[in-house]
Parts: sequence; structure tokens; C-alpha cells
Amino acid sequence: MKNFEEINIGDTLGPLELTVTKQQCRDYAQIMGVAGIAGRFTDEEAAKKEGLPGIILPGNMSLGLLAKLVTDWIGLGNARMTRIGTTYRQPVQPDRPITIQGFITNTDAAERTAEIELWIENEDAERLVIGTATVTFGK
Amino acid sequence: MSTILDLHTHSEASEDSRAPVEAYLNWIKLRHAERPLDGIVLTEHRQFNRDGDYRHLEDKFGQMVLRASEVETNYGHMLVFGVNDDIVKRFDFANVRLDAQTLINEVATMGGIVVPCHPGRPNIGLYEHYQSKPPLENIVAVEALNGGSRKGEDERSAELISKFGYAATGGSDSHLVSLIGLCATRFEADIKTIDDLVRELKSGAYEPADFRPRRKPVPQAVEVEPR
Repeated sequence: MKNFEEINIGDTLGPLELTVTKQQCRDYAQIMGVAGIAGRFTDEEAAKKEGLPGIILPGNMSLGLLAKLVTDWIGLGNARMTRIGTTYRQPVQPDRPITIQGFITNTDAAERTAEIELWIENEDAERLVIGTATVTFGK
Repeated sequence: MSTILDLHTHSEASEDSRAPVEAYLNWIKLRHAERPLDGIVLTEHRQFNRDGDYRHLEDKFGQMVLRASEVETNYGHMLVFGVNDDIVKRFDFANVRLDAQTLINEVATMGGIVVPCHPGRPNIGLYEHYQSKPPLENIVAVEALNGGSRKGEDERSAELISKFGYAATGGSDSHLVSLIGLCATRFEADIKTIDDLVRELKSGAYEPADFRPRRKPVPQAVEVEPR
């Protein structure tokens, strides 16, 4: 559980290192109903025909991973994530190690909010997906 | 003495950034050991933030905040330093098809300097435009290191610099607070004002500075004796 009074600019979230498998990617696409719309999330050949290196994670899956980092960091308590936004810079590929992390970059004592920057990076430390989130703390 | 400046940054005045200037300066203070900047130059997209007054923040954080612009031309994106009333009257910075050669020549005449940024980037970088159009004249420097570069982009910029003998700058192109200062420019001279900066950019007495974290080493495979 996080309290506003105990957070500081520069505090880190993560890093969380993980590898999303191709099967997890396919399962996510099926469940979210995007598998039939775009083969790039489920089919290696279809993805390559689109000029991609292979299957890629759906954008919402990357967004979900970033959001999970924030909500895990908040834990149980009276804080909640009130906004998240992302920019997709490069495709995130399954079966390759990725690291998810973030920083608190600003706080507002009057509003009791924390601004957080988040990103997914690959093994070359390239930021594939970047984003910002706002966490609002209760009193 | 020397001065290290991040020459390419975007604050919340740019439509695609959420970074307040104060948060940038606070981050530089926090990370000064890794990114020893003396200041930043705000280069908002397609505009010049004429009325921005950051003196109270400069005093609070001991960092310089200068203002310039990033504009769009028929040869890609370019940074305009030393923007003044004459330049603003002559060029509509919101026009995404500014003529690059006219911009470079006339900004120089009016006391500024134009530096093409992320030249190795597809579509919006000088390198790709040079494949189909004649090279521009009167370019002094281009941005050699850009904090947002993908694989191969800085290498293409280096190729361009080597071929045409341009001076080389660096900038983070930061749109997020934590990316500020990852790339910068180290000047030989002291810089205190935008006029100093323009003079030094014209002199060529500087080099790009790379403060990006090193790439992770590839783990070595360990040979295991079969049982």
C-alpha cells in the first residue's frame, strides 16, 4: 500500500523483467477479439507479410502490462490510477525478454497526485513503448 | 570553461509532450552526476514560445533555460536557434512545408542558425532527402546524437557528417521528463545567453555528448558438461 506522504520524485517502479510467449500473445488476441481482425498478433506469416519481424503484441496488451506495473506498485489502499497514456514507438515482440519500469517524475501535494513515466524496453535498452500515468491518492 | 546543453527538448507547450519545464529541471538536479548539464533549450514543435519566462526556475535550479524552435521543411525537421521578431515575421513556423534552403539562408542573415535534427530518421531526416534531392548549402551543423534514435539512425547521421564535414550536436529530443539530457552538446566556451549559443553554434567548437545508459551486455553462454 502506498501513501502520498512516502513517495518522492525519482522513486522507481520495477524493473519487472519478463518474456511474453507467442501463445500468450495469441490467447490475448483471441480473448480481446482482435485475432480475426489482424493476423499480426497470432500468425507469423501474416505478420511478416505486413513487413513486421513476426508476431507482435497487441497495443492494448502492452498498455495492460504498463498499467499492471502501476497498480501493483499502488497495492491495496486508497490510491488509484486515474490516467494512463502510451506512445507505441516500436513493435513489442513475444519470446524476447522485455523490461518494464517507471519513475515518479512529478508530484502535486495540493491534488495529491503523482505523475509517473513508464516504458517497455528490449534487451538493447531501446524503449519500445513509452507512457505516462497519473496516480491519485486519497486523504 | 565549457558548457553542456541539451539542445533539443519539448515541454508541455508542444502538443505531444506532458513534461513541465520545472519537472525537467528537477530531474536534471536529481541525475546531475549522470547527466551533468548546465541547461536546456526548449525547441517546441512548429512554434516559438516567445512569452515563456523561466527566470524563477533558472534561479531555483541553477540551470539555464533557453528557447528555440523545431520546424518542418521539405528536407525534414530542423532546429532554429536565435529566433527573433524578424524571423517570426518572415516565416510561418506552423507551415509544415517550409523551404529548407530559404530558411537556412535567411535565418542566418537575420542573426540565427538552423540545425537539421535527427538527420538519420526515415521521412523526417536529412539523410533520406539527400537520396533524392541535392544537398543543402550553408549548413554548419547537424544533430549527430538524438535521444530518440532507433537502431541505425545515429549511424546514418554520422555518415552524413563524415561526407559533408558538418559540425555535430546532440540533444535528447525529450518529450518525457526522465529522458532529459540523455544526449547533449559540450561547448568549449561559456554560454549564458541565446546570442552566445548562436555564436558558438556558428563557430563549430563543440561536440555531441552521450549520457545514455550503456546497452546491457549479452550474457555469455556457459558450457555445461553433459551427464
